[in-house]
Amino acid sequence: MPNSGSNSAVAVWSVLRKECRTEWRTRYGLNAALLFAVTSLTAVSFAAGRLGNRTDIMAALFWIVLLFATLASMSHAFVREVESRTMLLLRLVATPTEIAVGKLLFNLLFLCVIEAVTVPLFMVLMGAPPVRWGQFLAVLGLGTVSLAASSTLVGAVIAQTRGRGALFAGVSLPLLLPVLAAAVGGTREMWAANSVAPSLKLLGAYAVALLAASLLLYDHLWED
Amino acid sequence: MSAASLRLAGNDIAHRFGPRVAVRPVSFDVSAPGVVAVTGENGSGKSTLLRILCGLLRPSRGECVFEVDGCAVEPRRRRLFTGLATPELSFYEEFSAAENLAFAAETRGLPNAANAVRLALEQVGLTPRADDRVSAFSSGMKQRLRLAFAILHEPPVIMLDEPGSHLDDAGRAVVEHIVQTYGPRALVLIATNEPREMALAEQRIELSGRGLERTA
Repeated sequence: MPNSGSNSAVAVWSVLRKECRTEWRTRYGLNAALLFAVTSLTAVSFAAGRLGNRTDIMAALFWIVLLFATLASMSHAFVREVESRTMLLLRLVATPTEIAVGKLLFNLLFLCVIEAVTVPLFMVLMGAPPVRWGQFLAVLGLGTVSLAASSTLVGAVIAQTRGRGALFAGVSLPLLLPVLAAAVGGTREMWAANSVAPSLKLLGAYAVALLAASLLLYDHLWED
Repeated sequence: MSAASLRLAGNDIAHRFGPRVAVRPVSFDVSAPGVVAVTGENGSGKSTLLRILCGLLRPSRGECVFEVDGCAVEPRRRRLFTGLATPELSFYEEFSAAENLAFAAETRGLPNAANAVRLALEQVGLTPRADDRVSAFSSGMKQRLRLAFAILHEPPVIMLDEPGSHLDDAGRAVVEHIVQTYGPRALVLIATNEPREMALAEQRIELSGRGLERTA
């Protein structure tokens, strides 16, 4: 048969490349996310100055900036396909799991690019105390995976519903709260020179659970 | 392309969207090679039936049989054996025609994607505009691109939903050429009410009802 050679890794890679190319050509999500990150950090910096001794507030601010900078763009990964009526094209060339995993990888990449700009900017503008890089990157990495997995899953589920915008906020909230709580707690403990192990365990378990649930659910998405 | 022993059958297939009847019960049994017209009044469910046959939609009632070499193909794998051109199919406007087809070919895992894209564009007469963005395409050119998408991977089943819509005489000749080329080696289904397209078919599946009726 003509397509028997098709395999999932090739399809996922192709979807990922398509997402990157679309984002590079339109730059809608990237520009909006970077603009939000830079303006919000600059505004806080002007208003409150350097927050070097308030590591609790800094930890919360760091994750809030990351969350809001990226969430709107990541949720649009599927919505854009529905609104531009290209979802049918995707469904004809790949399985729901291949599509979703390709988009999940793109969301991870997208978050990494935003973090590459946001993290140094945050450290400089907020006057953050020295970072224990191993712990910081572990919290950041697991938080990033959890954020990307939850926003991809919610985006996929709500893509073909009416009132997507409102639904996204409602469905995302319970999924994102544990991620944010653990990530903020881990970042705060890292700056306070305490153990981040409990936060890492929670983030790791949550990321694994989200990814496993996603992989189980994706193949049943969009079944009419 | 291999058309060996491909059978497509519907056993009392019907579908409804909530209270609206989309497809009234219909039964048929067709096999490759051949050209089959799916006809019926507006709203009788021609497009819906094609979506059911290629596995995108699960019928509310009845059974769809899709067999290749005597083995049943489950709905989620039918897309591998099917090329669908329908007005509902849209392409990435920020990509060129060739890029859209290349994405489809690569995602499907075609071994020589570039060659498949070139051949498909040639067959629908879009080679001179291959590198133009789809956003600059007319309705007729987008329809030609849909036809190219349907034949890109040389599937054993080609489903053409209103293939002549938006096309000029040259475009309709492309449709006829595709049907005449693939008809002898694949199963070509044409959902249409155009007499010129119906004349291309050897068999016919007639759908009843207008799809405008509601049931309690």
